[in-house]
Amino acid sequence: MVKISVLQHAPAQHLPVRPGDPTPRSRNLDPLMHPFSRARERTRALNAAKMERIFAKPFIAALEGHIDAVECMARQPGTLDMVASGSWDGGLIVHDIVKKTQQMRIDVAHKGKITGLAFADSSRLLSCGVDRNVKLWDFREVDENGAGPSEPRKPVSVFPGKTAFNSIDHHRTDPLFATASNIVQIWDETKNAAISNLTFPTASETVSAVRFNLSESSVLASIGSDRSFTLYDIRTGKAERRVIMQMRSNALSWSPTFPTTVLLASEDHNLYTFDIRALTNPTQIYKAHVSAVMSCDWSPTGTQFVSGGWDRTVRIWNEGRGTAPEVYHTKRMQRVMSTMFTADARFVLSGSDDGNVRIWKARAHEKLGILDSRERAALEYRERLKEKWKTDAAVSKVSRSRHIPKPVYKAAELKRTMLDAQRVKEERRRKHTRAGESKPKAERKTVVVTEQT
Amino acid sequence: MNSLFAKADAIKPLKKRRKTDRDDNRQKPSGSKESLHDLTLTSVARNTGLPKSLRPTSPPPEGTHAYSHVKDKKLRTQLTRESAQAAWAKRLVKDAELLLSEEKGLMEVEGAMEKTWRVGQDDITTSAGQEAARGRKEWRLDGGPYRSRYTRNGRHLAIVGKSGHVATFDWQTGTMHAELQLKETCRDITFLHDHSHFAVAQKKYVYIYDRDGVELHCLKSHIEPTRLEFLPYHWLLVSVGNPGYLKYQDTSTGSLVVEHRTKLGACTTMTQNQHNAVIHLGHQNGTVTLWTPNLPHPAVRLLAHLGPVAGVSVDGSTGGRYMATSGKDGVVKIWDCRNWNGAVRTWNARGGSAELEWSQRGALAVGTGGSVNVYVKPAIQTPFAGTVLPPLYMTHPVPHRPLTSVRFCPFQDILTIGHNDGLSSILVPGAGEPNFDSSEADPFENKRARREREVKGLLDKIQPDMISLDPEFVGSLAPEPKLTTAINDTHDIPFARLPRMERLRVIGKADETEDADEQDVADDGIGGKSKPMTKAEKEKKKMRGKNKSLKRYLRKQRKNVVDPTAVAVRERLARQRDERERAKAVSKGEGAPKSAALDRFKKR
Repeated sequence: MVKISVLQHAPAQHLPVRPGDPTPRSRNLDPLMHPFSRARERTRALNAAKMERIFAKPFIAALEGHIDAVECMARQPGTLDMVASGSWDGGLIVHDIVKKTQQMRIDVAHKGKITGLAFADSSRLLSCGVDRNVKLWDFREVDENGAGPSEPRKPVSVFPGKTAFNSIDHHRTDPLFATASNIVQIWDETKNAAISNLTFPTASETVSAVRFNLSESSVLASIGSDRSFTLYDIRTGKAERRVIMQMRSNALSWSPTFPTTVLLASEDHNLYTFDIRALTNPTQIYKAHVSAVMSCDWSPTGTQFVSGGWDRTVRIWNEGRGTAPEVYHTKRMQRVMSTMFTADARFVLSGSDDGNVRIWKARAHEKLGILDSRERAALEYRERLKEKWKTDAAVSKVSRSRHIPKPVYKAAELKRTMLDAQRVKEERRRKHTRAGESKPKAERKTVVVTEQT
Repeated sequence: MNSLFAKADAIKPLKKRRKTDRDDNRQKPSGSKESLHDLTLTSVARNTGLPKSLRPTSPPPEGTHAYSHVKDKKLRTQLTRESAQAAWAKRLVKDAELLLSEEKGLMEVEGAMEKTWRVGQDDITTSAGQEAARGRKEWRLDGGPYRSRYTRNGRHLAIVGKSGHVATFDWQTGTMHAELQLKETCRDITFLHDHSHFAVAQKKYVYIYDRDGVELHCLKSHIEPTRLEFLPYHWLLVSVGNPGYLKYQDTSTGSLVVEHRTKLGACTTMTQNQHNAVIHLGHQNGTVTLWTPNLPHPAVRLLAHLGPVAGVSVDGSTGGRYMATSGKDGVVKIWDCRNWNGAVRTWNARGGSAELEWSQRGALAVGTGGSVNVYVKPAIQTPFAGTVLPPLYMTHPVPHRPLTSVRFCPFQDILTIGHNDGLSSILVPGAGEPNFDSSEADPFENKRARREREVKGLLDKIQPDMISLDPEFVGSLAPEPKLTTAINDTHDIPFARLPRMERLRVIGKADETEDADEQDVADDGIGGKSKPMTKAEKEKKKMRGKNKSLKRYLRKQRKNVVDPTAVAVRERLARQRDERERAKAVSKGEGAPKSAALDRFKKR
């Protein structure tokens, strides 16, 4: 007796029940049914990487209004839209970056350049300038009594100082603010003179920036013209620690998520993150700028930060990865004096020498607007593919390569050549000295010259 | 720090603390289970632990590597997680087999006296279902011996007669797409990516027609083609012809990718390996050659038969591991593509040159003389020394000689035989794969799905230079370069500029665990308890000229100059000599000096 059965498919199982229904799909996960699955996945990953580069259009808008270079910017804590910017001619604008309009505009807020801005609370803004004044502004369109702004706007109060101010920062919770001139001063909003002066005993320098720590809010840090980085505590009223580096820093930013991490933008084209518990060497060196780094700011997530440089580029870095940042540039953007992440970590602002504040996407290829679920699934699949195949030579080359302006490219090339030559020279010198006489020193160990307490 | 605070129990009132201290002491004097009662841990765990829904419900699956030798914590976690995920995925794939709902065909006998090959087509058609029985067909056609080709989903059939009759149709519904009388010799036909285009090897050139039979292209670079193949994932149309050139044409861009001169004359036998897209050619002088686009010479050249090769086919059911060849003299051979050293199995098929084809589930159809024989899997692939016919699964006489093509229909139990008087389809139970995958080939796909698949296929097109004998090389690690810049383990290049692997090797941190494992295995295999070598063997395997260059180097060093390198080399040589002698002593059993009877009185 022979048992015979012949394969036959039931069409009812594989055809839609009614016209218009989706066709049922059947799956067979046997690898023999899917030849070249790896090679095809690689092709898909390569396409995903190429699509990322095709859709990388980071520039969103330029906010005009300043006559001279934008020196400083500040964002209002707790909101997504209010951003203040001050320029070299003393102009002060509060932008609504969502509507792309100007909330407040004062053409001559200070005589000379505005050097620092800080939001005091939900309706008031502090500004300081080289005219030796700190001014407190109310930037609301209508105040609580329903009255419109006085025309022209007048500051709510003025705090006179003795020397030109270089930077200002407001305490996270208390009505205190700190200013940087030749010393660091702590002010109370309600008092007319500084309540305390902080300075390192042996230092006589111009302090160029001061920032409060975001979590440990009584700690503040400053950088100065002595190539120094100093930590203060307002509870003790003293400078706690001071570090002298090879080159001076231009900007300073505390990490919003790691209270001990601080980021310095240095004149030597690099950025450094320090752990303030061990100030002998930076935890990471970030190298890509080809000129002095003028400004830096952490993303609110603490995983990224943005920096703007004298080389007319804006760079977005991942924390802990010292090379190959995202780089933004346009033909008309000049030296970038100030940069900032927005509060939702999706956008980046840059203020430059040409008097514009530019809005960029933090992820260049991100699609703005509403995504439907299939599109989102496709995007997530592409992201995963890129992640999985990032070690493939072709994929990584596509996602690595960036077009940068020719002067920047040439400058980077020249810099590389010079550094190579230096290194070769050092190696030769070491080779021809007695063995063990001169040991190579890690670059991280050479950044800090001395640490003072 | 927190745990220290917690141990001190600073927060609790003093009295209570003392009590718990004593309690703790009483409960666990050994102090081994301290971590269970870590107060910080219990207080923190409520807020920091993973929610229950996200916690792994079962321990990590077997086959998860620990990667404990990796020092970098982040990397180690990532590697461990990836390997656990891979193990999970493997297990889930096994589970997914439960979802394969369709049943395969089969033919089974009960006693040893009954044979499956005695069952004829009439019995099979009567016992098959109504739908399946429609696969048994006879097409009586004029116009010479016919060849046929199915699409990848098995829905459409293209036939071509020697004298120029070409037809493509959906054989299930019986709708004709195109029928052409080309009035010149046609030697082969193939569908391109799907049934919307097909290519015909005509008298002088290859022509491409669309579904309705409109001539789209005449490929004048393919001269006098005899056989055509289409590589679906690379979108390559491959032809070989009487001049002996193998040509690859990209059908998505239209460019001729590469042409190889085989230097082996006219070729009438070609097949592709579906799993690595390598083209197998059978030649007049009995060689079978394997070709890829990126090599100007065959990747493998094999003398398979003493006469001309008549048929080649590759087994898809084993991932392209086995190849069957047949010669004009009627010999059929099965080859293992991983080990070309001799055929796995050889037999003589009566009736001269045989047409061969493997089915999806590994049935081999051999069409010779006046009949088609089908053999099934385990018997034909087990190595067997004699030239004896393997056990026959099915046989079907075809009284229209010659048989010019045998083709299995994908996802069906159907074998289509092309012969002098047309074509006949027979049922071969158990030949076809029952469960198809809609993303690869779906017999029931509609117009939209076909368009979608065409676009997806174009986006996923693999570049022709990715074809190689091992398709898994994509995404695997490149072999480590054998060349190092080190001379006698010293580098002229400064440490900082060495490649990463060499730097690690210099520090002694290079991860060479795999190599070490292999060495261990080799040692276990060769050394250990294997029998000692005879004198002749020893003489044969004696290492000659070892360290010759080192010795010459030492000889050339002047004795009165104290050179640190020479000193080091001399020390190393002395140490090696010592070790050798010690090993020799141990092997002779002189490890510890024998103690004499009076040794106990020796002063120590």
